[in-house]
Amino acid sequence: MTLLPSARPTARNLRRRAVRAWLASFATLTLFCTAVAQTEITFWYAWGGSEGQAMQALVDEFNASQPDVRVRSSFVPIGDGERILASLAGGAPADLVTVWDWMVVPLGYGGALADLTADLTAAGVGPDDYLPGIWEYGAYGGAKYGVPTTLNVYAFMWNKDVFAAAGLDPEAPPRTIEELDALTEQLTTVDARGNMRRLGFYPNVTAIYCYAFGGQLFDPTTLEVTLDHPGNVAAFEWLAAFYKKYDIAKIRRFQAGWGDMASPFNPFYRGQIAMQEGGQWEVAFTREYAPDLSWGVTNFPAPEGGRTDVTPVQSSFWVVPAQAAHKAEATRFLLWLSAPEQSARFAAALANIPPRRDALALPAFADTITPHMQTYIDMLLTGYVYTPPGLPVGLYLSDQLNQALAAVQDGTATAQEALETAQRNVQRELEKYR
Amino acid sequence: MTRRQRRDLWLGLAFVSPWLVGFLIFTVYPVLASLYFSFTDYNVVSAPRWIGMRNYTDLINDPLFGKTLYNTVYLAAIGIPFSLGLSLVIALLLNNKVRFQGLFRTVYFLPSVVPAVAAALLWRWFLNPDYGPVNEFLWQLGVNGPGWLADPGWSKPALILASLWGVGGSMVIYLAGLQNVPVALYEAADLDGASRWQRFRFVTLPMLSPVILFNLIMGIITSFQAFTNIYIMTGGGPSNSTLVYALYLYQNAFQFFRMGYASAMAWVLLAITAVALVGVFRTSGWVYYEARS
Repeated sequence: MTLLPSARPTARNLRRRAVRAWLASFATLTLFCTAVAQTEITFWYAWGGSEGQAMQALVDEFNASQPDVRVRSSFVPIGDGERILASLAGGAPADLVTVWDWMVVPLGYGGALADLTADLTAAGVGPDDYLPGIWEYGAYGGAKYGVPTTLNVYAFMWNKDVFAAAGLDPEAPPRTIEELDALTEQLTTVDARGNMRRLGFYPNVTAIYCYAFGGQLFDPTTLEVTLDHPGNVAAFEWLAAFYKKYDIAKIRRFQAGWGDMASPFNPFYRGQIAMQEGGQWEVAFTREYAPDLSWGVTNFPAPEGGRTDVTPVQSSFWVVPAQAAHKAEATRFLLWLSAPEQSARFAAALANIPPRRDALALPAFADTITPHMQTYIDMLLTGYVYTPPGLPVGLYLSDQLNQALAAVQDGTATAQEALETAQRNVQRELEKYR
Repeated sequence: MTRRQRRDLWLGLAFVSPWLVGFLIFTVYPVLASLYFSFTDYNVVSAPRWIGMRNYTDLINDPLFGKTLYNTVYLAAIGIPFSLGLSLVIALLLNNKVRFQGLFRTVYFLPSVVPAVAAALLWRWFLNPDYGPVNEFLWQLGVNGPGWLADPGWSKPALILASLWGVGGSMVIYLAGLQNVPVALYEAADLDGASRWQRFRFVTLPMLSPVILFNLIMGIITSFQAFTNIYIMTGGGPSNSTLVYALYLYQNAFQFFRMGYASAMAWVLLAITAVALVGVFRTSGWVYYEARS
């Protein structure tokens, strides 16, 4: 007689079954988890309001398309440099961070940022994919420490309404420094109290005129500081004459009454300044704050023998910290974010210019191009593009240039002396990095 | 020490340990670290490199070091006496038993509770040379007001003017001090035929002198650390005329990535403040301590 298996399992059997069941469920769970395992990367972006929403939309789109990577984004104002610096120094940074251009090389050179050259090359991205002069931007000593988010480009703006009211041809902006000087004089007005009512022209970004006069702040090939370049000295002499003629005290006083740039009280919109430098954001700003304003944009005037096509460019950057926990995933997201399609959409949302050449023609950006915007783009494509000095002492250099200008404005030093001092100081600071 | 005392000591230390640990980690360690960094070339992100006294010798040759020190001392030397005097005058007035005394005290104290940023923005508008109420008022008197914050010659006085708005803090301390002056002293002075001025000069002022000393010390410390209002109102301009020590230190640390240099600046500031305070204590013979007499 065959013994049938006992209907009642023994305790030993029960234990075995339990172990088997436990192992099976653990294996299933492990398999399931592996299938949906997501690496979460942290991303600090620097835009609030509608710009932040546009960035978030891109992040959401990326998250929806990626089964294994999830981007957790948060808004960290770009001005919050201490927070970014502390996170880098503390070795616990986000995986992808947005910083100002002047921070890129100092941080990268200090070893805090990953060199993206290999990743970009592996992804087939090279200098030709970017607009002229942009690939080298944020690079130092052969390493590329970041990718520009969207570009800000400066050009010369003039208020056509003010020109017309003063009996000038509103379609004839100055082409040379001499014409600019003459127009500034014609357009500057003073009231009964002796206070300035309108400044014909306001030079805000000193470096532009250094380049227009044939100078340069540093040599991009040798990476030497060239603050005392004869072109810079000539530009400073011209600026010194300007501040002497219009009285720096009066200008400062007048300036104190100017409203916020992003408001209807922008001095250019109100006709308090007739000519100035302005970036492509003015296309969006004027649409919002001064819809009736008639204005033009063109190349900067230059002296004879100077550069007639100076195109200053600035940008914020996306950087991957060297100590980021998920560098590979962050770089993958960065490559996606900076690809032409995304670049075009984000630049359009910010009224900036995408750094990627192919992005210009994509409908997401191309459909937003106005005649004003086209001028900025043309300048970028054909002009002499210069970006803030990509040196470990970038901001110190800018500050020293401002110190030199202050000395010239106050008449405490000649242009030559002020720039020589600045050159010496920056050079000494740069030596520390060599 | 008995066993019980030892146990109590350990228990006591255990109870204050959250503060002790925090103090060691967040105060003592950074302070000592900054002392070390001050002898190094340190850009925050790479390892500090020992350079000995170079940061300190560089400071001596840095024209902005002298300039910022001058600006800071100017604001302290002119601002503190004005602030001490004005808060004392207001406290004396508010000590009078008049109707709505409480309301007046509240109104005068109110600016002190306005956040520093809000106050700075308010004063920037108030002192605007073009459309600010101060210059508009001056124009009504037939005076074309100065450029205030926009004029290197007026920017420091303008900052002092704006800071006087916030004397409520020291005023309250004076008021508290005034409550402690025994009425008997005034009665005795009255019997001696003292005038109002003599009562103030020989009773109020000596009795208040410890409070004045306290306000003076606090004034020196806060003046040397001035940052927020200046950062917002002028950013150090025009022409570095309001670039104060703390602001320049901040620029070096967080904008120029010269943390070693900034650390050296911080230690020099500590030394200067210490010397100033020792000077104040050494010359504080004018302070009358009731308990000692």
